[in-house]
Amino acid sequence: MDFLIWHFLRESVRRNPDKEALVHGEQRLSYRDVARRTGGLATALRKFGVKRGERVGIYLEASVPQVISIFGISQCEGIYVPINALLHPEQVMHIARDCSMKALVTTPAKVHSLVEVIPQIPSLEFLVVCGGGELPDLQLHIYQFDESCAKEPPAVWQEASIEKDLAAILYTSGSTGKPKGVMLSHANVVSGTRIVSTYLGITETERILAVLPFSFDAGMNQLMTAFEKGGTLVLINFTFAREIVQVLLKERITGLAGVPTLWSLLAQPNSTFSKQAMTELRYITNTGGAMPQAVLKVLREVLPTTKIFLMYGLTEAFRSTYLPPEELDYRPTSMGKAIPDTEILVLNDKGEICKPGEPGELVHRGPTVSLGYWNRPKDTARALRPNPLLPPELGDCERVCYSGDLVKTDEEGFLYFIGRRDTMIKSSGFRISPTEVEEVLFQTGKLRGAAVIGVPDDVLGQVVKAFVVARDSVPLDTEGLLAACAEKMPRYMVPKFIEVLPEMPKTSSGKVDYPALRRREGL
Amino acid sequence: MVQAQTVEDRVRDFVLKQFPLARRSGVKPGDKWLETGLLDSLGILDLVHFLEAEFSIHVSDEELSPENFQSLAAVVSFVAAKQAASIR
Repeated sequence: MDFLIWHFLRESVRRNPDKEALVHGEQRLSYRDVARRTGGLATALRKFGVKRGERVGIYLEASVPQVISIFGISQCEGIYVPINALLHPEQVMHIARDCSMKALVTTPAKVHSLVEVIPQIPSLEFLVVCGGGELPDLQLHIYQFDESCAKEPPAVWQEASIEKDLAAILYTSGSTGKPKGVMLSHANVVSGTRIVSTYLGITETERILAVLPFSFDAGMNQLMTAFEKGGTLVLINFTFAREIVQVLLKERITGLAGVPTLWSLLAQPNSTFSKQAMTELRYITNTGGAMPQAVLKVLREVLPTTKIFLMYGLTEAFRSTYLPPEELDYRPTSMGKAIPDTEILVLNDKGEICKPGEPGELVHRGPTVSLGYWNRPKDTARALRPNPLLPPELGDCERVCYSGDLVKTDEEGFLYFIGRRDTMIKSSGFRISPTEVEEVLFQTGKLRGAAVIGVPDDVLGQVVKAFVVARDSVPLDTEGLLAACAEKMPRYMVPKFIEVLPEMPKTSSGKVDYPALRRREGL
Repeated sequence: MVQAQTVEDRVRDFVLKQFPLARRSGVKPGDKWLETGLLDSLGILDLVHFLEAEFSIHVSDEELSPENFQSLAAVVSFVAAKQAASIR
């Protein structure tokens, strides 16, 4: 019976060991190859001291070791914590400290970038490094990835974990503070995988190109659906949209998931995407924000035989809704309806079900509702609440996920996105907490006030705009402020616009008046 | 030569303004900005929009390659070649 993440791999090996599982550039691995390395890594991690339930981080670019690590950590009953390779040392440190990370899989180059923060992660006991290269002197055990993967697993693999156990922690931002770790159980990921592969109709003939990072739930789902069905996953590191087009053709890709920014890149007027016939491409999916209608129009023209699925999900509930491709003609701006085995409720402030057209909060009920935020019971209680519609006889036996997203339905029950309840910003599929950006601005020591909001952007959905008030009477070097931000944060978090104000607008209770700032921008 | 200098300055000014990280390290002609992560796919897109508007050139998809965009020097010679081609 398959109930843990790595069982997908175990079952696919049993069915067809020689099937191509993983492709990256010139590297091609069968399911047997992947399972052998994964089993070796799991054996090694146990030997190095990883116990059931301990957290192991993965800080790597898209690569074969990244996939091996996800399954290897899962097989040794650890919890894997994927860290976006774009993040800077400060954010990596936050994640590692927050989840008391025991070990980290990374590269020598990244170890160098982390030299200053590693001593500030007391829980960290060892590193596993992929590839050669000189390493700095650290008071830590350092093991080689390839050597670890070559370990011989025991004849019978012992495990005690069940589907209720935690499988992964995905860090994501909300409207305040630093990123929080969303806890996903094996049951969450296994159901999410089965649900999505069902409505996308994924089979073992699928060849999926993974362009979204595995630190993002939709990205991770590319890997899981491919391995559940015994299909092929192709990895890519790209800078130019053309590189994606080349791999789509060369690898005869049948499935591609992206965020609106990616589709905007591919649909650029000078893109080769529009000049090639993508006859093998069976489906594409969009998530992480609304697809701009102009881009959707181009995609539909360029991909007349490809099914286009518009999806919506939030990490806290993994995946929530999708619009069936046959509905695109009738309601191209809709988020669709609930995914299988899931109920989406639209509730007003009184907790009642909204009538068609009435705005309310999207509330998700189903097997992919996560276990909440790691070590943050208050935040968890806010996002995951007892199901208000359950008959009292059932007691408090179920948690549903309050998304913070405002939506409405049409007469036929299709959902439409309206906006956020809070101040969270979403750019290029990334969730950005305004306070995290503000904190970095304040760290420069030059400001008396700082507030950031999201402003609309054609390609990115939203971009960050900062309003700042100088601490001293000397004129502010705004470009210097942005440079300071760029050193501490990935580019998607760095304000694109900055405006100096004489005073920050405040509410009567003395807090920053964000609505006033949005009104200044005509929002 | 004078014109190449101008192109280099204009591109450098744009990159310094648009990519704050570049301000700290400076932009030298040979710096491999794709490898260092200064420019990502969206950064390239911004740069291409700038080049097209600023120098009245059209960048085709075939020209969007690491050879033409890996450094300031590469971009400058790419722009110079495009301008020369359009004059001819």
